[in-house]
This record gives sequence, structure tokens and C-alpha cells, in this order.
Amino acid sequence: MSTEQGTDTASRDSRRSGPHVAVTQWLENLGETAFAYLLLTPVFVILGAIALYPLLRTFELSMYVNVLGTGDPEFVGLQNYVDMFTGERDPDFPGSTTFLPDVSTSSSFPFVHVEGWFRSALVVTLVFTVVSVFFETVIGFGQALILDQEFRGRRLVRVAIIIPWAIPLVIQGMIFYLMFHPSTGFLTEYLANFGIVAPTNTLNDPWSALLIVTVADIWKTTAFMALLILAGLQSVDRSLYDVAKVAGASRWQQFKLITFPLVLPAVAIAVLFRTIDAMRIYGLIDVASSCTVVPSLSCMVVETFNTNRGLASAIAFVTAAIIGALAMVVIYRQFKEGV
Amino acid sequence: MATTTEQQSDSADTDDGVLAQWTQGVIGDDEKRSRLYQALFYVACGFFLVTTLFPFYWLLVLALTPNSAILTGDWSLPVIGLEFPHPQGFNPSAFVEVFQQVPFHLYVFNSFVLATITTIIVLLVASLAGYVFGRLDFPGKGPLMLGVLMVSYFPPAAFLIPLFDAFLGNAVVIPFLGIELFEPPRLVNTPGSMIMPFSALFLPLAIFILTTFYAQIPDGLEDAARVEGTTRLGALFRVIMPLSAPGVATAAVLTFIAVYNEYFFSSIMALENVPQNWSPLVGGILSYQDQYTTDFNLMAAASIVGVIPILILVIVAQERIVSGLTAGALKE
Repeated sequence: MSTEQGTDTASRDSRRSGPHVAVTQWLENLGETAFAYLLLTPVFVILGAIALYPLLRTFELSMYVNVLGTGDPEFVGLQNYVDMFTGERDPDFPGSTTFLPDVSTSSSFPFVHVEGWFRSALVVTLVFTVVSVFFETVIGFGQALILDQEFRGRRLVRVAIIIPWAIPLVIQGMIFYLMFHPSTGFLTEYLANFGIVAPTNTLNDPWSALLIVTVADIWKTTAFMALLILAGLQSVDRSLYDVAKVAGASRWQQFKLITFPLVLPAVAIAVLFRTIDAMRIYGLIDVASSCTVVPSLSCMVVETFNTNRGLASAIAFVTAAIIGALAMVVIYRQFKEGV
Repeated sequence: MATTTEQQSDSADTDDGVLAQWTQGVIGDDEKRSRLYQALFYVACGFFLVTTLFPFYWLLVLALTPNSAILTGDWSLPVIGLEFPHPQGFNPSAFVEVFQQVPFHLYVFNSFVLATITTIIVLLVASLAGYVFGRLDFPGKGPLMLGVLMVSYFPPAAFLIPLFDAFLGNAVVIPFLGIELFEPPRLVNTPGSMIMPFSALFLPLAIFILTTFYAQIPDGLEDAARVEGTTRLGALFRVIMPLSAPGVATAAVLTFIAVYNEYFFSSIMALENVPQNWSPLVGGILSYQDQYTTDFNLMAAASIVGVIPILILVIVAQERIVSGLTAGALKE
């Protein structure tokens, strides 16, 4: 933008008067960098107050005990973290501490001595994330390949695939709650015959509930994966396929040698996105089952923050750190591409 | 399939079994192979349609079946005897009862208000940021964009505790310095306690969508507007935003859906699930689960009522949603 335009505007505005004009003129004469930062101020304020401040404050709170008590909060350093890992604070968690009791002894974790609830939460969150993201990627790839074709009713199929993604979490949870509730669930009997879920009280059986929650997530979020992979598919140069056809490549060869390698970057990004998102799992568990049956990391924060704020903060910060580390991978990738 | 087998039997030279012959024939014959692909394609298509839509059918069955019939739990089909969910009786009055047991319309109304206000705030703030990131060059741009991106990845649980404290009216303290800044008003049970976290959570996605769209407007158009005497901000709101209308609509639709669907803060910041506390849709549905624990037909009917606005939005704005999701994630 040249300065001539700026002064031109300014001279027109100066014919009018008042504070409004003064502000406008001041804005017009700001340098580009100052103007940019000025326009970004609302973003800084909102993200600073609602994200950055809580994150730092959570870290601070995690080093105190008795935050909610009557006396002064007492600084204990990293004691809350130690207690969390060693299971010292397990009695603070409502419900049982016996999720996955016989899966492993705590010594099977190589680096830290992890006990009870926190171990359960780690196992639940990781199993849920890995299994759901894996199936979402595979099924989503299939859906994307279908949506990539031209056929009658394509829009209809696309809407049908997107709808589960768009429905509220609470309704998604309710659907699966109703599917497996002992009074209504018609599926429980079938699946129990195959030994897949517990025959009675299915939603209160840890493994069954974890399975149901995972399936519910796959049902809902596969569409997201499909759309991202579809975008990758559609960016593949179509003339490559013509060349392949002339060269006599079969459809499988076309897929293996052209489609798959070219779509892989898009799939990688989608997988990272979904992994980060899946690790936040909370609402679905809360509606379809219960946080005391299937404790995820976020579940533990919500279950404890009204009774032991220091410990809850420690869990919240560890959760944020795990997800933050993953996010760094994404950001590193995008930084390499050049934002 | 049977006809295909007969047709190809003459082309097969070997004396293998029927299946092997058929396979051989299909592999060898281009036309048959493409017909097989087509069949597989429709099978896969049908499979995905059934699996994605079946849960909604299940909701409809439950909503239409009188609750007494649900509780007997017998879903056998009349003639075949196979267990398959189908409406037993026809009881549309469940859709009326949903609004009588709890004021469900008020919860939905709350959700609409929260979603609308959040969408407006997000669009305004993200428009400014999208303009800056999409059209200006300045030092620190890359790291700032990454910082915004980073925020969108953190779990809401990482923000919950200090926000909850502040919304209860406790003083905001500068972390690690212990200096009290101010005592905020008590915001729990008001729209503010939800709109603020929603705005922060869904701002980054809107910023990236709008950055993508604003960056595509040719510089010449903005320059022309400036020569005509528009201010920089005037050019943004009168030229760039209208020209990027599809992008703005995309960001709006996605933000609205995200707020309407949000669970974490929606279920925590309204301390009781009553509409007077601005409890949104989440509270309405959960109050059926918590209070009317055996009214399964009402739970299903409430879920259907809650889905309808989103259903309409998805059907109307299909293209926008698809382009927004991919633009936000892949930044094309």
C-alpha cells in the first residue's frame, strides 16, 4: 500500500470531524506491523485469558495441596505428581480403582512406577486412541475411495456419511447408551453370545464399556477422516491414471503405485489430528457409560477437581503435556512445509 | 452372479471347479472385472449407508414404541421370529411428551443463543486475525500462527480448573507471582461462563478457514477499494469479507455446529441441569437420563428433536462443511 493513498484518504476524512475521524486517521497511518498486531489484540486477549492463563495457573495449582481447604494452601512441589504416579492418592478417586486389575503389575511400566487409577486412565486413553484412530483411518480410507467416484446419489451418500460426525456428543452417547442398556439393548444378547461383551450390566463392565465407547467413536468420527483423505485423493493429478492405463496397470497397481503414496501425507496429518482429538475423550464416556467405569485422563480431572484441586491440576497438566507433545509433531510438520 | 458364471464358462480352458473358473474368467476379462468392481462398490456403499444410518433408525424405533413395550424387551419380528428392532405400536405422542416432562424447548433455545453469540464473536475476531494472517506480512507471523494452532490442540480439561475458579468469582491471580489482579463477577450459570471458553476453543479453526479464504482475494481488488477512499478496515469489511462470503459461511456453520455439539464446558459450567441456569441441549438430554431413568422412548425422542436442527444444517450446508473441514486441517 502506498502512502499517497493513505494521505488521500486522510484528507477526505479531515473534512469531517470528531473523535471517530481521529481514530480512523491514526489507524490509517499505522505501520503494517503495528496494524497487524493491533488487529490481533482480540485474539491475544481471548486466547491469553481462556487458554494461556489457565494453563500456567493449572501448573501452579498442581504444586499445592489444600487448595480448597480452609487453611492456606501448602506448597509441596512435585508431590502431587509423585502421589499420582505411585497411587498414593487412589482413595481420592470415587469409584473403584480396579480397572484392568490383572492386566499387568505396575512394574511392567519401564520408566515409572504407575499405580491404580492413573495407570487405568493411561491404559484406557491409549487403548481407546490407538484402536479408534486405526479403524477410523482404515474405514475412512474406504469411504473416501467411494466418495471419490462419480456416481448417482453421491451427494446422498456423502450426507449420510457426514451426519454422524455432525451430531452432538451427548446424543451420540445417548444412542449407544440406549443400544446397550439392559432394558432396551437388543444388541447385548447377540454380542454376549459371541463373548464380545458382558451379558449383563454391559455398560458397567469396564472392558465392554470401553469397547462400546470405542465403536461409538469410530461410528461418529470416521467421516472426518474420510473427508480429509478425500481431499487428498482429489488433489492427485488425474492424468497420472491415464498414463497408468496406457501402460497397462491394473486398478490394484494404480492404487498401490499412484493413489496410496500420493495420499499418504494427507492421511498422516489426518491421523495426527484424530490422535490428538481422541486423547481428550470425556463426554462420550460420561453419557454412554461412566467415568468411574472407564476412567480416561480427562475423566480423572473432572472427577477430582471438586475435591482435590491440587491433584486434579497435576493430572490436567500431565494430560496437557502428553497431548502438547503430540501437537508439537504436527506443528513441526507444518513448520517444515512453511506456514 | 449365477448368470456371470454361465457366461464365462466357455472362456475358461481348465477343468477346475466352478468358482476357480469363474475367478479365472473375471480376472481375464476386462468387462467382467469392471462389473465385479461395480458390484463390490455398491456393496461397500450399502454397507456404509446401513452402518451410519442404523443408529438413527434405532432412535426412531424407540421413540415410536410405547415405553411399556420397550420394557418387555421383545424385538422378534412377527413372522420370521428373528430379533430385529422395529416399531411396536405407533406412539408419536412421545414427541409431545418430551416437551412436557422437562422444558426441552428451553434447553434447545439456550443452545441456539449460546451458539449464535459465540459464532458472532468468533467471526468478528477471526476475521481480523484472518485478514492479518492472510494478507499482511510482518515479523513474528509464523510463530504467532503456530501459537494459535497449538491452543486448539490442548484438551479442555487443561483449562477447566482455573476457569472454573474464576467463574465462581474467585480472584484471578497471576501465576507464580501471587499478585491478585481482580475479582471477576460470578459467571457460572450464566451464558458468559460457556461463551468465553467456546470462543477460545473454536477460534483457531475459524481463523485458519478465514485466513485461507481471505488470502485468495486478489490484491488488486483491495487496492481499488483503497483508491476509492476506503480505510483499511473498511476494505476488510466491505470488500474482502463479502467477496469471501463462502468462507465466512463455512466458518460460521462449523462454529455453530461445534458449539451446539460441545459437551465438556456445557455440562460443567451450568451447575444444575436446569434451563434457568443456561444449561444447553446437553442438560436437557442428561436430565432425561438422570431423572426419568426408565422413560426410554422419551430419551430417544429427545435425541431426535435435538438432532433435527443439525440435520437440516448439514443437508443445507453440505458443501461448506466439507470445504471447511479440509481447509482448516490441510490448509489448502
